[in-house]
Amino acid sequence: MGWHWRAFDAPGHPGLAVSEPVAVIRWGEVRRHAGDPGVALAFAGAAVMLGLFVLYPAFRVLVYPTLQDYLEIPRSLRWMQAARNSMVMMVISTLTATLSGLIFAFAVTRPDVPGRRFFRNIAVLPIFAPPFMVAFAYILMFGRQGLITKTVLGLDANIFGWHGLWLVQTVAFFPLAMIIIIGVLEGINPSMEHAARNLGADEWAVVRTVSLALARPGIAGAALVVAISVLADFGNAVVIAGGFPLLATEAWFRMEGLADLKGAALVVAMLIVPTVCLFLLERYWVSRRVYTTVTGRGSRVERPPTHPVLKWSTFLFCGLMSVMIGLVYFGVVAGSLTAVWGRDWTVSLAHWRLAMDRIPTLWASVKIGAMAGVITGVVGVAVAFLTSRRLPLRHVLDFLAVLPGALPGVFIGVGFVLAFNRPPIELVGTPWILALALAFWHLPMGYQAAVATLKQVERSIEEAATNLGASGLRVLWDIYVPLLRRAFLGAFTVSFIRSVTNVSIVVFLVTPGNIVATFAILNMIGNGIWGGAAALTTMLLLITFASVGMAQAVVGRTMRSTPMG
Amino acid sequence: MMGMTEAHVRFLNVTKRLGTTLAVDRVSLDVPEGNFTTLLGPSGCGKTTTLRMVAGFYHPDAGEIYVRDVPVTDIPAHRRNTAMVFQEYALFPHMTVAENVGYGLRMRRVESTQARRRIGGVLELVGLVGQESKFPHQLSGGQQQRVALARALVVEPEVLLLDEPLSNLDAKLRVRVRTEIRSLQQALGKTTIYVTHDQEEALSISDRIAVMNQGRVVQVGTPQEIYYRPADRFVADFVGLANFAPVQVVAPGRVRLDEVVLPVESAVKPGPALLVVRPETVSLAAAAPTASDRPALRGRVKTVAFLGGLARYWVETVGREWIVDHAAPGEQLLSGEVYLTLAPERMHVLYENEVTHDGEGQA
Repeated sequence: MGWHWRAFDAPGHPGLAVSEPVAVIRWGEVRRHAGDPGVALAFAGAAVMLGLFVLYPAFRVLVYPTLQDYLEIPRSLRWMQAARNSMVMMVISTLTATLSGLIFAFAVTRPDVPGRRFFRNIAVLPIFAPPFMVAFAYILMFGRQGLITKTVLGLDANIFGWHGLWLVQTVAFFPLAMIIIIGVLEGINPSMEHAARNLGADEWAVVRTVSLALARPGIAGAALVVAISVLADFGNAVVIAGGFPLLATEAWFRMEGLADLKGAALVVAMLIVPTVCLFLLERYWVSRRVYTTVTGRGSRVERPPTHPVLKWSTFLFCGLMSVMIGLVYFGVVAGSLTAVWGRDWTVSLAHWRLAMDRIPTLWASVKIGAMAGVITGVVGVAVAFLTSRRLPLRHVLDFLAVLPGALPGVFIGVGFVLAFNRPPIELVGTPWILALALAFWHLPMGYQAAVATLKQVERSIEEAATNLGASGLRVLWDIYVPLLRRAFLGAFTVSFIRSVTNVSIVVFLVTPGNIVATFAILNMIGNGIWGGAAALTTMLLLITFASVGMAQAVVGRTMRSTPMG
Repeated sequence: MMGMTEAHVRFLNVTKRLGTTLAVDRVSLDVPEGNFTTLLGPSGCGKTTTLRMVAGFYHPDAGEIYVRDVPVTDIPAHRRNTAMVFQEYALFPHMTVAENVGYGLRMRRVESTQARRRIGGVLELVGLVGQESKFPHQLSGGQQQRVALARALVVEPEVLLLDEPLSNLDAKLRVRVRTEIRSLQQALGKTTIYVTHDQEEALSISDRIAVMNQGRVVQVGTPQEIYYRPADRFVADFVGLANFAPVQVVAPGRVRLDEVVLPVESAVKPGPALLVVRPETVSLAAAAPTASDRPALRGRVKTVAFLGGLARYWVETVGREWIVDHAAPGEQLLSGEVYLTLAPERMHVLYENEVTHDGEGQA
């Protein structure tokens, strides 16, 4: 395992790792590259694509309602309530998810916490789950018909509502925080902790005055990324929030129930105000304050021992959370094999037979996912290559490529409907509208994976090639393409998996000819066909893990054949 | 061997395994009070591991470390008073210079006015007055190094530990800072253990050097002893440059090298031996010397490197090559046929069966 965690860093959001070096424009180089027609053409092409599929839909959403509509927002009780609820959920879920992520990250970066490898592997599992799966599984486990609540404990529990959503979002989003904070904690030179101990700090004091103090900006960054995800969370909310109005789900209710395009546009426009603010805060403020890379990695020394109380309490917490994660997968698989959930616990394959009827929706998902994956991979790698040149306006390109990370899926969904439902570009009803929306929403991940790979390329390698007479595009082909195969594959896989499991964009763009699996599952859950939904979700999971496994195998091979690490 | 009470820090058969490698192998070593002792050796020889065991970062698998006759291996790192200067300084990037230096005092709950006074005092000692409120990244490498030193000194450690503290400085600064560290140590009379792989640094700064190889202490001695009377071929080779020639000791004070019999004062026991000749102890002349007690070897200059203060010659005699340093060579370098004269009192003899010392103090 390894590379795909990086690639999954903060889905939809730029990781902390990427920070642009200060621009030093060397005019000689600019002229040289701008004079290269291939590079200039690629640059223009990328700019047009990003403008069309990132900026234009966003622009359409924002101008669709009139100024009057905007001014009337405060008078709509339901919208104000949804906005308030979204803010409350953002605060509480972000707090618990970040705290859980911090505890996990702490435990797995200690050398002496038992089971740390197991915890690290199990904690990333929610990232591979379709975005409604945690909520769905917890209804099966803790709902009115819940295996644990009703059958084991004999309780009449109602999980629908804000408290259920809180639990679900905590479990679903803490892995994001964990991955970011692991990076930060691992970046802390163990010598810091040794120095603190050497100067008289006990285990507690080391954690308090050094480890946590150094990780503070990173933890803040993780919290911001989690907050964006919580605000944008559609899948879990639509399944478990019940009658609790939230901005992310309100947009869909407007459109589905009332065909109220203007209302939907207004709601998603309200939603991007906080997400864009959080995004800018993370990207341009917090990530500039990360200390850990200042001294770099020092000698390979183990970290000093952990205080026993700290060690065993984190171990206990991680164990408990691992059970909660295990239940997510267990619940869905068990649900697909149980005759009547909550009443008749005999094993049955009836739900699988039902799910077999929906196989065409799975194929549609795979097809659209593959299209999206290829687009994300190609555009991500190409834009990363272009922004690594010292070209004028490259910062604009960079910004456009990471911007979708600030936009919730429902915003993209509404945006594509508004932008491409009529000439000149009419895409509604074709699989292309789904593929393009998903591809450009996942672009930041593919782009940043490619940027990270490009940073590994020694500038001198390229200079050597140029020195030997290679043109700009020739350099791309000879030097970068072999190195970027891995970046492409990573971007493809992430985009594919997330497209196949997506709901927030899909619900706005599916048409009768293009029903995808997640949409079918959502409908089944809504109609109480839990067994069938569970079986189809299990199939989706199989596809997800199979593609991760395949990508691993391919990357493993190319890594052996190319000496680049 | 020294008496128990004379050693400030004492290693007794200390052994440490890291993974599958035996990092430190039965090391015994005494560090007298106020002494500047250097652990010198190539990378991976166990010197840093040995130092870290004094600080308490590693627990020895066997053996014991004593500080003033008190066994310390079971005392946790934060309760030992063995402040360390780290190779990469390990300054806390989120704290100012004053906060970094004051960290150890804060952990010791030293009352704040007293702490401020001590911080001021030690910053004055290392020449950093006026930098109190800067952050480490605002300082130069040399200044960061001084902060690390001040942070270690301010807690008035029982023993001061330095782990390759100069390796991140450029060559000129390294020489200046090592002189400063040495004079500071002498002024404070602080017992110091210093780790380096740089033999020149070790020779210039230490009271005593313990040369380590493959986890063992190979030789302990003053810099002069280490240089002129290396215990084995490894030490001779690692510390400074040396010419090696297999010889036969034919009588006390006389060895036969190829066809020539040479006077060598340190040759005692007859039998096969290895002659160790430092390049600067060989004199070089264009004409055969007249003094008959020192037979000259005739040779031919293969190549020469002019290094300013000295010229380094590679001279070929019958069947072997010599490195010869000629001090203050002037503008005229020798070439062609030359004569080498070896100083009987400056050559060292290693007997073939000479095993490595077990590290008993010789000083």
